Amino acid sequence: MSSTNGTRPVRVTVNGTVHEATVEPRTTLSELLRSQLGLTGTHVGCEHGVCGVCTVLIDGKAVRSCLTLAVQVDGSEILTVEGLAAADGTLHPLQEAFSAEHGLQCGFCTPGFLMAVYALLTEKPDAGEDEIREVLGGQLCRCTGYQSILRSVMRAAAQFRESKLEWVR
Amino acid sequence: MSLDCLPVTERRWIGRDVVRVEDRSLLTGRTRFIDDVVLPGMLHCAILRSPFPHARIIQIDTSRAEALPGVAAVVTGADALAWCQPARSTPEGWGLRCLASDTAHFVGEPIAAVAAASRAAAEDALEAIDVEYEPLEPVTDPFRAMSGDSPLVMEGKGTNVMFHRVFTWGEVDAAFAGAEHVFTEKFRWNRVGANPTETFGTVCEWDPGTLELCVYGSIQAASSAALGCAGTFGIPSSKVTVKSQHHGGSFGGKGGARGIVVASMLSRKAGGRPVKWIEDRSEYLVAGGGQAWDRHYEASIAVSGGRVTALSVTLVDDLGASGEGFGALGAAKPLAAFTGPYEIPTARYDLSLVATNKTPVFPYRGMGPPPHFFVLEQMMDIAARALEIDPAEFRRANFIPADRFPYTIPSGNEYDSGNYGEVLDAALSLAGYAELRREQEEARKQGRLMGVGVVSTVEPGVFDWNAYAIVGMPQTGVPEGATVSIDILGSITVRVGFSMEGQGQYTLVSQLVADYFHVDMDAVSVVQLDTRSAPPSFGPGGSRLGVAISAAVLGACQRLTGTLRRVAAALLRAPEDQIELWDGNFVLKDRSGGALSVAKVAATMLARSDLLPPGVDPLPEATYVWTAPGRTPADDEGRAKSYLTAAQAVHVVVVEIDPDTGVVEILKYAVADDCGVRLNPATVEGQLDGSIAQGIGAALYEEYVYDEEGQPLVATLADYLIPTINEIPVTQKTAVVTPSPFTPLGAKGCGEGAIHTTPAAVMCAINDAMAPRGVLLTEVPASPQRVWKTIREANR
Repeated sequence: MSSTNGTRPVRVTVNGTVHEATVEPRTTLSELLRSQLGLTGTHVGCEHGVCGVCTVLIDGKAVRSCLTLAVQVDGSEILTVEGLAAADGTLHPLQEAFSAEHGLQCGFCTPGFLMAVYALLTEKPDAGEDEIREVLGGQLCRCTGYQSILRSVMRAAAQFRESKLEWVR
Repeated sequence: MSLDCLPVTERRWIGRDVVRVEDRSLLTGRTRFIDDVVLPGMLHCAILRSPFPHARIIQIDTSRAEALPGVAAVVTGADALAWCQPARSTPEGWGLRCLASDTAHFVGEPIAAVAAASRAAAEDALEAIDVEYEPLEPVTDPFRAMSGDSPLVMEGKGTNVMFHRVFTWGEVDAAFAGAEHVFTEKFRWNRVGANPTETFGTVCEWDPGTLELCVYGSIQAASSAALGCAGTFGIPSSKVTVKSQHHGGSFGGKGGARGIVVASMLSRKAGGRPVKWIEDRSEYLVAGGGQAWDRHYEASIAVSGGRVTALSVTLVDDLGASGEGFGALGAAKPLAAFTGPYEIPTARYDLSLVATNKTPVFPYRGMGPPPHFFVLEQMMDIAARALEIDPAEFRRANFIPADRFPYTIPSGNEYDSGNYGEVLDAALSLAGYAELRREQEEARKQGRLMGVGVVSTVEPGVFDWNAYAIVGMPQTGVPEGATVSIDILGSITVRVGFSMEGQGQYTLVSQLVADYFHVDMDAVSVVQLDTRSAPPSFGPGGSRLGVAISAAVLGACQRLTGTLRRVAAALLRAPEDQIELWDGNFVLKDRSGGALSVAKVAATMLARSDLLPPGVDPLPEATYVWTAPGRTPADDEGRAKSYLTAAQAVHVVVVEIDPDTGVVEILKYAVADDCGVRLNPATVEGQLDGSIAQGIGAALYEEYVYDEEGQPLVATLADYLIPTINEIPVTQKTAVVTPSPFTPLGAKGCGEGAIHTTPAAVMCAINDAMAPRGVLLTEVPASPQRVWKTIREANR
């Protein structure tokens, strides 16, 4: 339902918490998450859908939150990087793998990589290197040269295949 | 000199692959980047930019914008004229003000700016600003810009030539005149640049009560930014505080000075409300700090008896519309390694810095040697090919011998140490070089274009301002400080003046202190201070901070140990000179008597004034500010002992070219490098990997394209092709370690070596592949179009 000044209400579940917000039609999902819900772990790198830094999950699918309008996610379940670690602060195995393999340097692109890889491995736990490379090919990193990221994901994928329960959020 | 200087039986942290202390916050999204900063009453800025490369600004009317809801302030060039000086620049006197007032000099130059309740409202208001322009003829070709009939970028200057000088080091003319062979070629390096995944951003607050300016931002060099603000606004530097946020990469090209000044003016005009400006990606690409090295080269080398006897390089460097980005430093830095790893006795550098109506250039990782070494290494291959010498052996024959270090090159810098032949052997062995040449022979028989590049470069590390003396940097030395402080419970805090930007320097600090005082890394915290609180600090840049901060922290630990030892001597009732720190305890050198832990001594200082020896303050902390020893001011020909260390690397690259499409595929990439002692081998490897990827981008994909009228054709990351994982090969790496005799732990600067080497190596491999066709590609990036056209020339 649209109000007289053009704003609309949206109701979303982010990392398990229900939020109600009022947005302009032009408000993007990344703006909703960052500015209105205070979830600044999702970063914005290009605002035109190329770099993948802003990747989050909507109903289990990885999407560019900079190209998604907030009104489009009304009623959806969203997972962001803040939803990966356990409530007590224990890192998600994917996060542990990135740290162990030095899969990050400045860390600005990292949330996007984590969410894209999380979406892939929860959907295809047996994804091989080619499939992993295909997904990583949608994410830009300017620091690492990707080799350590690939190692991180391969390590995480092997771990995931052994213990799925610890993995899914 | 080495890690053995640490007072422990066994090192547990330094020199090992340790998990970074930075990671946990970054991986959970908790690290606060600049766009995450929200201050009470904060406004948002948007900037109106020139659509013309060169135009007179006849009139600006901001009244409609000012009347829009939520708009708190609008600034234009008139405000800039009233409140600001032009930016400091190299060369001096070529800076512009933050907002153009009468003339627009490049597409994207800021014209006006709005502060409003939201970014969207501010962007809406830009559309209500009416600007009347009179387009002027632009100049985009630096050779035309140098001619007498060119339009002038800055009218008052009377010329577009910012700088021209010829530097002669040794008897160059005689060397060329007496040479058996002289080889000459022209080269073109097109604009590339940093493009960190986070653009520049800032929050500025001009306090009308105290008349002080506070700046938060994704700022690489906070202290330089603070001095810049003071100079621009004509206020005492003690009234400016810069707090650099942890930021998403920089690579020298974060930029942002104009944004800081514009946001500060808006804050001033809005009664002191903080103003946030976050550069969007298109702003960064078109007019941010991301463009570097727009270069036209001509080079000659003289060769006699298989030895290079002279190198002459003529560079016309297109700096764009002003010197505000300090891109000129990148033309000066090659003096620190002009002749690369070779024993070339004479050299000449004919350097022109030219203004055009394009975006000003900024530093980028490597700061100038990447194009220089691209040229030098092509010349080495051109000579080797003509003389029918294997390119690896031609390089070996010209290497500076291992027994000649420290070695002074003709352009004045001194290389600290190295063993170049050993590094070459390691690289050739790792790559299976002999076998590669056999494979290449087979490939050539089949008509395939397979090539091998073998390239060696030197990475000047630990930068010094004196390296840039020729373009107007008067200082010698770059101080970096740290304070090490122990609290009453024995926890250790290290205070530094720089933020995290990806290199893992907080981890390095923690490793070093944890080993020095024999505690766990968790017991050490690293805290960043703002520019008014921190000891002298430059921060990251110039492959310097790892060496500089480890030296500063080591110095502070040693100084603190001296204080603690006086207290320990009193408590142990022993002469001070009989006591030493070992494994975290103060003990007698002969190991008789008791031991006192560092924590206990510190706690005693703070909590038992009755036990404090006379003359000792209750302050268990020490500050040490390090600057590289033995640096010398530059002489008239620019010669100085500048960069303290000289790392060296050999890259072996194998490529195959598809002759039908011009697409280059990298089949193999092997690296041997010597950057001295590796303080955290995993982060050193990360620097190598990232730098190789950027080098491949520069060699094959990345380019800021302008049309002849000066319109940028690159405005998104779909136009500027940053490599993805699928463009970067898996590399093989090996290390040789020649410790630096000049740095406290034997480490050398290592952040830029690969980008010095990679573009040259890839281009040498491409030209090796095309050699049977008798053609040479002399322009980077080697896009499929350029490679295909070059091959077509051969078919004519």
